Amino acid sequence: MGFAYDFDWGVLWRQPYGMWLLQGIWLTLKIGFLGWIIALFLGILIGTLRVTPWRWLRFVSTAYTEVFRNVPFLVQLFFWYYAGPMIFGENLGRQINQIVGLNYYMAIFALGMYTASRVAEHMRAGFASISRDQYQAVLSTGMTHSQMYRYVIIPYALRIILPPLTTEFLTIFKNSSIAMTIGVAEITFMSYRIDAETFHGLEATTGAMFIYLVLGLTVVRVMGIIESKFKIPGMIGR
Amino acid sequence: MKRYFVIGMAIAWLLCLLAVPTLADQTMDLIEKSGKIKLGFREGSIPFAFVDPKVGKHVGFSVDMAGELAENLGKRFGKKIEIVPFTVTPKTRIPMVVNGTVDVEMGSTTYTQKREEQADFSMIFFFSETTFLVPKDSGIKKLEDLSGKRVGAARGTTNLRAVEDLANQGKFKPKDIIVTETHPQGMLALKSGKIEAYSTDRSLLEGLRMKDQNSDKWMTVPFAIAYEPYAYIMREGNSDFRDFVNNTVIWAIKTGKFYELYDKWMGPNGVVPIPMSQAYRNYLEMMVYPISDGWWKK
Repeated sequence: MGFAYDFDWGVLWRQPYGMWLLQGIWLTLKIGFLGWIIALFLGILIGTLRVTPWRWLRFVSTAYTEVFRNVPFLVQLFFWYYAGPMIFGENLGRQINQIVGLNYYMAIFALGMYTASRVAEHMRAGFASISRDQYQAVLSTGMTHSQMYRYVIIPYALRIILPPLTTEFLTIFKNSSIAMTIGVAEITFMSYRIDAETFHGLEATTGAMFIYLVLGLTVVRVMGIIESKFKIPGMIGR
Repeated sequence: MKRYFVIGMAIAWLLCLLAVPTLADQTMDLIEKSGKIKLGFREGSIPFAFVDPKVGKHVGFSVDMAGELAENLGKRFGKKIEIVPFTVTPKTRIPMVVNGTVDVEMGSTTYTQKREEQADFSMIFFFSETTFLVPKDSGIKKLEDLSGKRVGAARGTTNLRAVEDLANQGKFKPKDIIVTETHPQGMLALKSGKIEAYSTDRSLLEGLRMKDQNSDKWMTVPFAIAYEPYAYIMREGNSDFRDFVNNTVIWAIKTGKFYELYDKWMGPNGVVPIPMSQAYRNYLEMMVYPISDGWWKK
């Protein structure tokens, strides 16, 4: 009994397929990093707003978190890409739709917004894990509320939530594969494209799998170094 | 102990990667033994093979053709051959034929040499034109009119390939080529102004157009950028079965059943009216090789 499927691992490096994969990797890295920058800053901001004493800010940030956290990313991406420009009315929407590379920008934007809601939740967990005494101690030194967050609580919380942030950083690269559905030519898109051209989908998908694995392991290693560097002395750690 | 476990897992994993075995039995023997033929149909390939929401079953030109095939097989084996339908997608149609899940895929698959390397194809039964759907008031009459415009096509289709090839050859210079996931999304992109022309087969474009609320707003352009021959897919190395499928197509043309089915699905009152071009009519007449009544007997 033979195999009906002839393996040809050459599709992973033969031209133009090898070049496609490299282009895919580059795009995945760009989407992941740019999305992560949005997610980190927006997430920290939203997460902090959720514990501020001002009711309206709390309401807005809670609404943001719940909306973005509870809608599947695929649906969000479709919404931003297809319906998003219509929010701005007929004329401006038309102009937005004319932008070359709109799907790429929308993917970064949507990924950033979605991941921000998750980062915000981790921030809230970080704040909650800091004891009340700590807050009162800071305030008693004469700092204002914003100073307290900026100089003490946020840096402290960030160090506590570094391990879950690593997971989010990993997830953003994995979620970037969903950008394929709006035609962004990242790794998964390229592996499917190789499949469509050569019908060697098993090799192409396995190749993509290893690329994601290597990418993920690299992120874990780098974040591991950062984690051990910023570990809070005296806390339980590795 | 632990080491054996790890080795065992590694072997199991490797086997999973490799396990795409062919069926040792010939397709014909299998059909005779089981009295069933496993058919692969598409879900949304109007009018060739699609799911009718009213009855919840696969219908279409190729599905009716499958009925003819089953009937002929029934005559061959002297018993009723039952059709077991499976839903396939452009991505799964070839793997599912190759790994034996289905015996034959009957839909609207374009015959290409690259695909021929993985599976066998029947005779060509239809030619579709790769063309564009554009707004009626766009004034696009020829390919050069599409220069500077944004055009779209679905991922993994031969249509996308044709558009990219023409752009690379400099036959026209699109501002951007947008890749969509599905045809309805392509239509959405066209309607929302993300693209000015959407490319796929003319039959599919007409199907999309007919479904739209303002079907009068759109039109397919009068030119074609590529021709796509449609054929049915089978496993390699089952020539008896392949002959049988080919004979079924030829016999249908000879007896006029083919034209009857064409009229039912693509005639003026069909699901998607596609006038039969003279070239296509000639092709059908010319490819009929001598065949006589009772060919289905062994």
